[in-house]
Amino acid sequence: MSEATPEQESDRVLNLGVDLGTSRSSVSASNGVRQAVESYVGWPLDMVARKVLKRDVLVGREAIDNRLMLDLHRPLERGLIKEGSDKDVLAVRELLKHLVSLALAGADRESLVVQAVVGVPAEALRVNKQQLRSALKGIVDSLMIVSEPFAVAYGLESLVNALIIDIGAGTADFCVMHGRYPLEEDQRTLPIAGDHVDEQLYRLITSKYPDAKISLHMAREWKERFSFMGAPTEKVWVVAPVQGRPTEFDATEPMRAACESLLPAVKETMLDLISRVQPEYQDRVRNNVILSGGSGLIRGFGLALQEALEEVGGGRVRVVADPLHVGADGGLALAMDAPPSEWDRLAA
Amino acid sequence: MARQDRIKRRMIRQVVRDNLETLEGARPRRRGRRLRTVLTVARVLFLVALPAALFTSSYVLSTVAAEWRDDVWQDGSGNVSPSVRAPVAFSEMEPLPPMDSNQSRVTPQPIDPSVLPLGLHTVVLDPGHGGENEGTVSPTGLVEKEVTLDIAERVRGLLESHSYKVVMTRHRDVDLSLKQRAELANDARGDIFVSIHVNWIENREVRGVETFFLGATEDPYLEALAARENQNSGYSLADFRDILEQVYAGVRQEESRQLAGAVQQALYDSLDAVNSTVRNRGVKSAPFGVLTHTEMPAILAEVACVSNDVEARLLMTPIYRQYLAEAIVEGIQIYARSLGEPNHLEG
Repeated sequence: MSEATPEQESDRVLNLGVDLGTSRSSVSASNGVRQAVESYVGWPLDMVARKVLKRDVLVGREAIDNRLMLDLHRPLERGLIKEGSDKDVLAVRELLKHLVSLALAGADRESLVVQAVVGVPAEALRVNKQQLRSALKGIVDSLMIVSEPFAVAYGLESLVNALIIDIGAGTADFCVMHGRYPLEEDQRTLPIAGDHVDEQLYRLITSKYPDAKISLHMAREWKERFSFMGAPTEKVWVVAPVQGRPTEFDATEPMRAACESLLPAVKETMLDLISRVQPEYQDRVRNNVILSGGSGLIRGFGLALQEALEEVGGGRVRVVADPLHVGADGGLALAMDAPPSEWDRLAA
Repeated sequence: MARQDRIKRRMIRQVVRDNLETLEGARPRRRGRRLRTVLTVARVLFLVALPAALFTSSYVLSTVAAEWRDDVWQDGSGNVSPSVRAPVAFSEMEPLPPMDSNQSRVTPQPIDPSVLPLGLHTVVLDPGHGGENEGTVSPTGLVEKEVTLDIAERVRGLLESHSYKVVMTRHRDVDLSLKQRAELANDARGDIFVSIHVNWIENREVRGVETFFLGATEDPYLEALAARENQNSGYSLADFRDILEQVYAGVRQEESRQLAGAVQQALYDSLDAVNSTVRNRGVKSAPFGVLTHTEMPAILAEVACVSNDVEARLLMTPIYRQYLAEAIVEGIQIYARSLGEPNHLEG
């Protein structure tokens, strides 16, 4: 029996970059597939639901749409597996299985070696990484867990003198790139991110319009459509039922206040991290701030951070245009760059 | 380009090494094993050293006491009794000075616990407030009694995973007097007592963590804080005075200071990484009622200021509460490890 050539070997390998997000998860694969799903997993509540849905488990948008018939889980909290629930561990497995099946695009799983790089919050503890690793056992063949903002930096090739601010739903991750894999002191994680804006918006609207019947889910959808910081360019009108009748409300001020509630902590952390960079490199880092993640798309956020940089001599903030996939793309780039000998050491 | 490739290669090696360390050298598990080993060794040494120490001390005490009783006992006037003769071995010594009748014969001195390598097994956790006694309430509706219970439950889980026995003064939303809490801790024979609270400070710009052990204070802010936390204490004034007299001179106060220092440092170090705005408000002594009647080293940690908007927002998130819990556990472990070290109380 002849041995496989390197080309044949690489044909047998499917590299994946995975961003397991609190709200959305995405996968980028070496076969060109790029997919994103909502990070929800649900199991039919009873036999009737199973018969109606004709499935044992539903993932993503399908799970949200059928949530009334499901035991619905959003298994990731602040970018990590929720604690204390075996069901959430199972849900993370189902979520990753689903992402892998999307990436396979019909190819036979058994004929491929699947190698995945998965991003986690910058300051995830080792115990969290172990928990994730054991939850994903058997789904991929080899697994590499990296800090999410590092994956973003790797994907954008901003490896030296850059500050990555990756703000998702659960966490805001910060990482200063010095041309090395970031150490503890190069990274920060704040537990204030998109979910916090949703909660603030929900609270502000319900206190301003106590008769309006709204849900956190509605607040999240409004935020995704209308979020902004600074001066409004137009009024934000939202519709919510009052005693069953759809009624329009002006949500401009609550929206601004909710979005801007992220600013103080993010600004302080950004300036603090920059101040810890060696003085001769601070100028370069200030001019290479990259704002990523779904919440980075809040209109005016980049500008507000740039204004904050004025306090320390000015700088430039670039906003990543495709935040949904940038982490997964970075993970994929890393997966493809890692030599087989290194992958062999990281069997899942 | 070649430089960029070199950087990438180096980074990949570092990523792989980090992953291998996670796979092979899980730090929390290792630390747990080490701690268990330390505790086992401490337990064995304790079992061997305690009977020996008791035997030796009782022998020495009984011998000295017998000699003292026979030879140097004094009459009520303070003069050596004429019937008493100095033993031969002491005949060249100056006679003992007359003893004040109000002075006790043996002045209690703090004992350095490092002479006996004691272990730390049982931790009593006291989530502050409860029931109708809600504690402070933040403008965002955060209620102290709920926050403290949630953090304490997290601490309990972590400590139990490190093989400590944990006793909680409350598991649910009930109102217990401070006296009841202390009695519960004493009945459980806890090795240490940790009371968890969150703070409210008039100046809402102020934020940070501070940890207290029992002692006097002249700081009006601390007096006000203690008065607030001491509501519903269940003690009379006389109780309180007696208790304070008992504890001020004791080793327990010094032990409590050590424990407070370890927890405060761990809280600050850990939180500084996630909340760069956190301030180290230090270790302080104050007359908190809940610390008075406990018969073990006891501290009260004010883990955040809900009067400050940033900290109140952080405290609303489960992950921040988890950070707080992990930091408290880290502090307890640092203290536990220090118990076996020489000159433990000098630190």
